[in-house]
Amino acid sequence: MESRNQILEVNNLETQFSTWEGVVHAVNGVSFNLAEGETLGIVGESGCGKSVTMLSMLRLIPSPPGRIVNGSAIFKKKDLLKINEDELSTIRGAQISLIFQDPMTFFNPVLTIGEQVIEPLQTHLNISENDARDRAIEILDLVGIPNPAERLKDYPHQFSGGMRQRAMIAMALICSPQILIADEPTTALDVTVQAQIVDLVKKLRSELGMAVIWITHDLGIVAGLVDRVIVMYAGYIVEEAPVKELYRAPGHPYTKGLLGSLPRLDANERERLASIEGIPPVLYRKASTCPFAPRCPYRIDHCFNENPKLMEISPNHKVACWVDIENRKER
Amino acid sequence: MTTYIIRRILLVPLLLLGVTIIIFGMLQFLQPAERAALYIRDIPKNPEALESVIRTYGLDKPIYIQYWNWLVGQKNPNTGEIHGGILRGDFGYSRVGAEPVIDMIKHRFPATLELAIWAIIPIIVVGVWLGIQAAINHNKFIDQFARVFSIIGYSFPAFVFGLLVLMIFYANLKWFPPGRLSNWVIAEINSGSFKTYTNLMTIDALINGRLDVLWDALRHLILPVITLSYISWATFLRITRSSMLETLNQDYMTTAKAKGISTKVAIKKHALPNALIPVVTISGFTVVSLLGGVVITETIFNFPGIGSAAANAASQLDVVTVLGFALFNGVILILANLVADILYALVDPRIRLSTN
Ligand SMILES: Nc1ncnc2c1ncn2[C@@H]1O[C@H](COP(=O)(O)OP(=O)(O)OP(=O)(O)O)[C@@H](O)[C@H]1O
Ligand SMILES: [Mg+2]
Repeated sequence: MESRNQILEVNNLETQFSTWEGVVHAVNGVSFNLAEGETLGIVGESGCGKSVTMLSMLRLIPSPPGRIVNGSAIFKKKDLLKINEDELSTIRGAQISLIFQDPMTFFNPVLTIGEQVIEPLQTHLNISENDARDRAIEILDLVGIPNPAERLKDYPHQFSGGMRQRAMIAMALICSPQILIADEPTTALDVTVQAQIVDLVKKLRSELGMAVIWITHDLGIVAGLVDRVIVMYAGYIVEEAPVKELYRAPGHPYTKGLLGSLPRLDANERERLASIEGIPPVLYRKASTCPFAPRCPYRIDHCFNENPKLMEISPNHKVACWVDIENRKER
Repeated sequence: MTTYIIRRILLVPLLLLGVTIIIFGMLQFLQPAERAALYIRDIPKNPEALESVIRTYGLDKPIYIQYWNWLVGQKNPNTGEIHGGILRGDFGYSRVGAEPVIDMIKHRFPATLELAIWAIIPIIVVGVWLGIQAAINHNKFIDQFARVFSIIGYSFPAFVFGLLVLMIFYANLKWFPPGRLSNWVIAEINSGSFKTYTNLMTIDALINGRLDVLWDALRHLILPVITLSYISWATFLRITRSSMLETLNQDYMTTAKAKGISTKVAIKKHALPNALIPVVTISGFTVVSLLGGVVITETIFNFPGIGSAAANAASQLDVVTVLGFALFNGVILILANLVADILYALVDPRIRLSTN
């Protein structure tokens, strides 16, 4: 993994939202790398800042109320947070693409699937209407939409949920990006379709050789898909490890909680996560204590004095916790 | 879509039936002798002659027979001629106009139509355009300006606004005249040297190639148009602004930007078609407020359309004329709403392509 070139380096990203209740600290100094062709999983409960992290990287958060207050996101030697809007536009949808959780609301209801799938091509390449159409048919076929030439003319509401997500993937991949960011792409789908979408991304990833960031609630889904996992809590990264290592020896009580609640495959994601007592906090200021401490079965006094930084506990395995949970002692 | 449209069209006769029943019901408040104006021009004073008129036209018959007669007309046994019958286009006789109500409508409606057509321009420019700009520049100066503007539009009654405009531009500055045309234009029309085709003066002036007449017509139109559109633009401004704001916050706008589309294209291609759907929906309703507004506007500016005629008839208790106008308005509203509903289906594929 070390030998691979880093394609994306995010450093100390901080994003806040001004709301009536105060300034929400949604992302609090997140740093991570992504190597070429690597698949990175990002997990964490609802509201922990996964989407905001990704959207901030491409400066897609609504502003106001959102504000990126700090950090950098280096893609091909350029800082996505500093370059001008025009230059950023040439990267969005062409070199870095996004797919989203709910393919219904993320498609425009009054434009046909074809019009929307073709749009990145028309935006980024000088391409004739006909060539664009041919390419769209090709890519819809690739993502497994039967009868693509006909279905181009359909509107989003005429597609089933699974087909819409396939179309969304086609739209994201039509310009052959180097990075695909998938923000909980299977959450809105039923279980069999989820598996199909995961398989599809696996297949396309190796065919197109792109790096993938896969955001999910569900550690079960990422197991066979990702190389490395980042666990987020309250806008902080609390653990980062290769996927096997993470499953074998989770270093953070929160990760352990997520894993511990895994086996019940019958329950839906949110229910399973609810088996960690309590709910994650919304931070109105930077945490001066460990934000997970109130819910943590391993907490010690020190957890309420200082928020732990991400520390390397073994090669490539980083954890932000004062407690060595395996040996039940303070680090 | 076709089923939607067919169902919507099938609703029209039902609505028309409803309107006729309401209007007929209101006619029942009149004495039989007064209702005779639905059939004949001169109502006799002599009690015996009056009695015979009432019998001839069944004005003393049970109500359903009267309703039927009102719909299809009634034969005069002496002359064999059919009188009345709204389905035949006979709305009775106007006491104040001294002519059949339907002729009065024919003479006066073009003026009102012209007024309404021109009023749509400020509604779209001020209402829709400003609403879009306000939403795009949310909380910036133009948005604050639009908000204040629309509060004024809501809280300041149209007749006060009309009077104010009249006092400033007519009485003090003497920029614009009241009425519909200057006397010299009317003289030319009467002498036949200016031919009318549509009776919309701005259009007829163009057909005749007469820019002087066009200018005269526009000078007369401008104050009533501003006053009339004043009634609707605040509604359009508010609806367009909030609809556009909501659209800009939709998930698909994030998708559009994530594809690398410029903000401008995203607004034009992705936001506008969605944001304008509710605007299309209320456009049918706008015809309602416009038709209500012409009564005030035409009266203030002495503009010879159906609005001022209705006000005049009402002030002289010419109920047959007023209700004749009401019937005509009802038909127009039903048709306008039909058009708006069909347009709405056309712009929204979720409705256009639905099968049920
Ligand atoms: N537009 C916004 N205005 C105010 N706060 C926001 C906004 N968008 C996100 N937030 C806040 O930022 C925090 C992180 O949200 P984010 O959407 O990144 O969570 P997430 O991890 O993606 O959750 P989920 O799994 O539900 O998608 C939340 O506390 C949320 O309330
Ligand atoms: Mg999210």
